[in-house]
Amino acid sequence: MAFLDVKDLKVHFPIKGGILQRTVGHVKAVDGVSLSIEEGKTYGLVGESGSGKTTTGRAIIGLNKVTSGEITFEGKDLSVSQKQSKEVRRDIQMIFQDPYSSLNPKKRVIDIVAEPIRNYEKLSKLEVKKRVQELMEQVGLSPESILKYPHEFSGGQRQRIGVARALALKPKLIIADEPVSALDVSVQAQVLNFMKDIQKDLGLTYLFISHDLGIIKHMCDDIGIMYKGRYVEEGTRDEIFNNPQHIYTKRLVAAIPDIDPKKRKAHQQFRQEVKEEYDKSYNDYFDHDGLAYKLQNISGTHKVALPQKG
Amino acid sequence: METTKVNAELQSQDSTSSPSGLKILWREIVRDKIALISLIFLVLISSFVFGISIILDQDEIVTVDLFAIHEPPGDEFILGTDYGGRDVFGQLIIGTRNSLAIGILVTLIAGFVGILVGLLSGYFGGHVDNALMRLVDFFMVLPTLLMVIVFVTIVPDYSIWAFSLIMAAFLWMGVARLIRSKALAERELDYVQASKTLGSSNLKIMLTQVLPNLTSIIIVTMTLQLAANIGIESGLSFLGFGFPESTPSLGTLISYARNPQTLEFRWWIWVPAAVLILLLMLAVNNVGQALKRATDARQRRG
Repeated sequence: MAFLDVKDLKVHFPIKGGILQRTVGHVKAVDGVSLSIEEGKTYGLVGESGSGKTTTGRAIIGLNKVTSGEITFEGKDLSVSQKQSKEVRRDIQMIFQDPYSSLNPKKRVIDIVAEPIRNYEKLSKLEVKKRVQELMEQVGLSPESILKYPHEFSGGQRQRIGVARALALKPKLIIADEPVSALDVSVQAQVLNFMKDIQKDLGLTYLFISHDLGIIKHMCDDIGIMYKGRYVEEGTRDEIFNNPQHIYTKRLVAAIPDIDPKKRKAHQQFRQEVKEEYDKSYNDYFDHDGLAYKLQNISGTHKVALPQKG
Repeated sequence: METTKVNAELQSQDSTSSPSGLKILWREIVRDKIALISLIFLVLISSFVFGISIILDQDEIVTVDLFAIHEPPGDEFILGTDYGGRDVFGQLIIGTRNSLAIGILVTLIAGFVGILVGLLSGYFGGHVDNALMRLVDFFMVLPTLLMVIVFVTIVPDYSIWAFSLIMAAFLWMGVARLIRSKALAERELDYVQASKTLGSSNLKIMLTQVLPNLTSIIIVTMTLQLAANIGIESGLSFLGFGFPESTPSLGTLISYARNPQTLEFRWWIWVPAAVLILLLMLAVNNVGQALKRATDARQRRG
């Protein structure tokens, strides 16, 4: 049994229309996604805007209603109601994309970080304060700053506060929804390396959602590529980056910029070739709605949405 | 030397937090001289009125004295007497207290209900929002004045509390709508989502996470509402649906002016009350406008 198992997850949002606000259709944000994460590993979820990667993460943590499908975490079903799964959910925490709106501007840092502790553990005021100070130290912020307000911190520091809050309950799985895309590039590396460090120290498992392939390559062991709510390819980091099979993945990987100016011409030409292949075989790889086909195993870990024959 | 000084300054700037919402509101009032004068006037008037009315005996003031009917202002009666020989100055003080108390009570009760409904509606959205907003619509289309008059006539025990409750029952909708719209925007922010993943209950998120972010808008609307509500009581009393003469208010005093004799020759009965209510409403409104400006960074003066 895998650590986190998602089977055929579907999240559909109804489109209301007409005078009576009847449901006239569905936006299939996530349409049959399956993934499993091993303990202590980092799983990367990649895709363009609107591909459903964030919705998948939010569905796992319970922020979006699951239309159908199964989510099991350490063998326990998560798709039941929020109340029943409250105890299970303390082991899953989330790091949000925007460090500016994810911290309540009217709350002091101590109240922000202590919120989960106060919800789940009965500790005295002094113990809570001590815990928060420890956490602040853990994420590399000064323990004295617990009485400050979020706006007194920089973006990177705020994201660290978000991480401290996510770590407060000593979770096993952390869903990181584009944790660095709102940050400066110089700060990105800092936060990412820090996340890797605490993963080693605390034995965390990450579900890492991002659209930045460079970051994914740096962070993740296994990778899933999403397109329009479906998987197009899944495999280990090596398989995705060195042996992409789906044309969409190929194009994504080709789009990673190369900083060596000498190779610029060659790289450009390679990209052009991939684009031509993409245009030519688009109709083979996607059905008439532009959606990917079912995944097929091509090796033990490597799955690709190959064109269906016939 | 220079640099260390600059550094120290920078550090002191870092350690002092940038102004919180309440501080911004206060600064705006101080900067706006008219608002500041209004606020001082309000504080003085209300402390004077509430203070004096403790020693004043309302029963004694409203007791009819047939030997002192329509006395003009003089030594014995600072502002003269009305047709029942009652001291107008005493009535003015008690009346101001009653009018202010009603205005504040109505604002608080209506504000409380409005915040509650608006918060529930905005936070939960969906069906809850739909149901509550239809309720608001229902109350909005009621002919408020008519309903208040009907209730006022059928309520047997007619006290300040009863009057305030009746008024508040028809005045909470505006606040509810405003709070709803703000709460709708607020609940989409990540910190609300984060609270959910951290195991906080909806009630807790509403009261401890969302509500603190709405305080400044609540203070502003409540102040502006207060200005309007002080006037409403006077209007009703003037129409004859306010308080009986045994419970003086600014409205009852002004309503004496319906008598043409009083209107023309006995100005001391109604002019002070009219001026006072005008000043009160203006003052509260000035403070409210300053607070309103403070919530919009582009209009701020402070």
